[in-house]
Amino acid sequence: MIALSVAAVLAVFLLYTSIAGGGNPSIAPSALQGRTGEVQLAGLVVGPVVGDAHAGGLRFRLRDISGKAQARVVVRYTGSVPDLFKVGRHIVIDGQLRNGVFVAEPGSMITKCPSKYAPKQSGDST
Amino acid sequence: MPELGRAALVVTLGLVVYALAAGAVAAHLRRRRLAQSAQNALVAAFFTTLIASLVLVAALLRHDFSFTYVARTTSEALPTGYTISAFWGGQEGSLLLWLLILTGFGAAAMRLNRRWARDLIVWVVPVFAAVATFFALLLVAIASPFATQVAPPDGAGMTPSLQNPYMLAHPPLLYLGYVGLTVPLAFALGALLSGRLDERWLIATRRWTLFAWTALGIGQLLGAHWAYVEVGWGGYYAWDPVENAALMPWLAATAFLHSVMIQEKRGMLRVWNVLLVILAFSLSLFGTFLTRSGVVNSIHSFTQSSIGPWFLAFIGFTVAVSLALVFWRLPQLRSPTKLESPISREAAFLYNNLLLLALCLAILWGVVYPMLSEAIRGEAVVLGRSYYDFFLRAFGLPLLLLMGIGPLIAWRRASLRSLATTFRWPTLVALSAGVVLLALGAGSSIPGLVAYTFSAFVGATIVMEFARGTRARKALGAASWPAAFSSLMARNRRRYGGYVVHASIVLLAIGIAGSSAFDSVAEAKLAQGESLAIGGYTLVYRSLAERQSANATEVRATLDIRRGDKDLGTVQAGKNAYTIEQQVSNEVGIRSDKLTGEDLFVIAEQIDPDGSVYFRVFVKPLVNFVWLAGLVFLLGSVITLWPDRKEQRRLVARADEVGLPATR
Repeated sequence: MIALSVAAVLAVFLLYTSIAGGGNPSIAPSALQGRTGEVQLAGLVVGPVVGDAHAGGLRFRLRDISGKAQARVVVRYTGSVPDLFKVGRHIVIDGQLRNGVFVAEPGSMITKCPSKYAPKQSGDST
Repeated sequence: MPELGRAALVVTLGLVVYALAAGAVAAHLRRRRLAQSAQNALVAAFFTTLIASLVLVAALLRHDFSFTYVARTTSEALPTGYTISAFWGGQEGSLLLWLLILTGFGAAAMRLNRRWARDLIVWVVPVFAAVATFFALLLVAIASPFATQVAPPDGAGMTPSLQNPYMLAHPPLLYLGYVGLTVPLAFALGALLSGRLDERWLIATRRWTLFAWTALGIGQLLGAHWAYVEVGWGGYYAWDPVENAALMPWLAATAFLHSVMIQEKRGMLRVWNVLLVILAFSLSLFGTFLTRSGVVNSIHSFTQSSIGPWFLAFIGFTVAVSLALVFWRLPQLRSPTKLESPISREAAFLYNNLLLLALCLAILWGVVYPMLSEAIRGEAVVLGRSYYDFFLRAFGLPLLLLMGIGPLIAWRRASLRSLATTFRWPTLVALSAGVVLLALGAGSSIPGLVAYTFSAFVGATIVMEFARGTRARKALGAASWPAAFSSLMARNRRRYGGYVVHASIVLLAIGIAGSSAFDSVAEAKLAQGESLAIGGYTLVYRSLAERQSANATEVRATLDIRRGDKDLGTVQAGKNAYTIEQQVSNEVGIRSDKLTGEDLFVIAEQIDPDGSVYFRVFVKPLVNFVWLAGLVFLLGSVITLWPDRKEQRRLVARADEVGLPATR
């Protein structure tokens, strides 16, 4: 009977994966080139930040958080902007590349947690 | 001073290594005096850790910036309360707090149980010492809180979002929970090592597990409330890996607290219980690993942190050793009884366990999936909110229903006819609640409607149980109804405290379903005098004011709230701009309706120079039930945790039954 219950749980799991599929790939700006599907983009905000997130969209660029890649991606974002958003911060947004501009899902921006705890010595994150 | 701290930690390390070695030898060769000496070493380790902790607290209070830790986490201007909270605000300090709680719990758990579980304790000591050795080693060699430097004129200060009263209680409570789970693990492994596999290890640790579980639960709710009122995005739980890190061990511990009852009453699920304890403990380590290693903050930086790999290695070691022990004792762990019917209390508890575990593992899968997919496919794939929501419904709703069935169904084998009698009224209540809610328009969310119907069902069973028990007490000669009720509670705290906890989970389900399935949101850019309508409310943006506080410029928009013709006063929302930290924070406006538990939640998203404001407004029905659930949960836990003299006597009697072996 335990086996039966476990099987039921597994069935639910399979049901989910078959209906909803996997999640979104999470990639860095340098890996975005040529990808048109829905992705999650994680990067570091590069200024200048212009526009209005609630009218026409906020525009800024993202580059890789780590590594030497020089790639920059232009982002257009609408919707709620977290408190911690500013130049130099790490953010994560969902969206897809359209004509060279990464158009973000409205309201999908997450700034990396303002370090629930102190920043590490490596200065890695906020 | 830093020398004293460092020395205290080195001595601690020596003591716990001794407790580990001497304890293991003593237990193996049955040397009573050596065992006592190992035990004393563990107690002494608590005091040396306490000294190290006091050194750190003193340094924090003196603003001694020659301590690298103090300079990195505090500043001259930081208020005293937050200066003390910096003790657990950084990595090294929180590891020290972990060791302090661990050695304290170890010493206390040994003292409290030495009478009737001596044969277990001799093996519990080395297990405790092994865990303590890991943390002491980290503190001495990898992450010392006593590193020094040339003192800078001022420290770096604390992130504004941490300067918050919640910071004083939320992290320590989670730590009490995480560390508290070491006690059942140590006793479980102690039982495996000693071969004393009777139920005493469960009974000895029941209250510790309950305590850890309560602390974890309350700690999480405090964190949720913190997020709700301070972080200000309109929610209280985001399935963030750090949040999940605390939820997973809590779920595993919940499963354990239920399955122990089956072992106590029927001797079943013995292997399962040991496995659950191992899982809960490993998940609490994994939680610390997640928070500390940087895997969470950055999806890409697996190896950046210095202690991450150590934690991972220790988790691997713990799991391997524990499973090997289980495997070794497997023949003795065979349970003497078998499940007789799929419709019985045992079976209901088993379903409950499977569902809790399934939910826990689904969450774990979601947390590790990005890392796994990165390792295998070279690309991290993130599972979003919909993934977690799906499994919360798929496993959480049946769990809710089982909460009403499990405690009432008969042991061993329940007949369908008895089920019909037992559940006639709750089913009627649930169905009529469903019909009424449907008429009121709750059909807009099927999961929400199901959650409410199930909640009504469970609520009815709980009320019925209390009513029946009280009536029985009254019939047995209690003077009055209140007297009957209190004597009912006093006589079976575990059972009725458990019902109170169940009631709190019902409240939680109502709050979560109301605020997530039936909420509404509106947003608009308003100039002064303009208004916005949402969920029966009308908000009129009246004025904008700016004021200067000690460390921030505070901008506040004031809005009038009306509902129909009724004036409900005003609400303020705005932003604080912190001058030194160069950081802006949303300060949300919340208006709670005391009667219905509904919140009107106002965020001033964007304040333009011309004085117009972009508002986002939520109406969250019943959300205050979530916080009410926290209070009821605490009440129920305290009732079950309350010391029970009669139970103690029973335990001692049981120890005599088992017969303690002679030790030299």
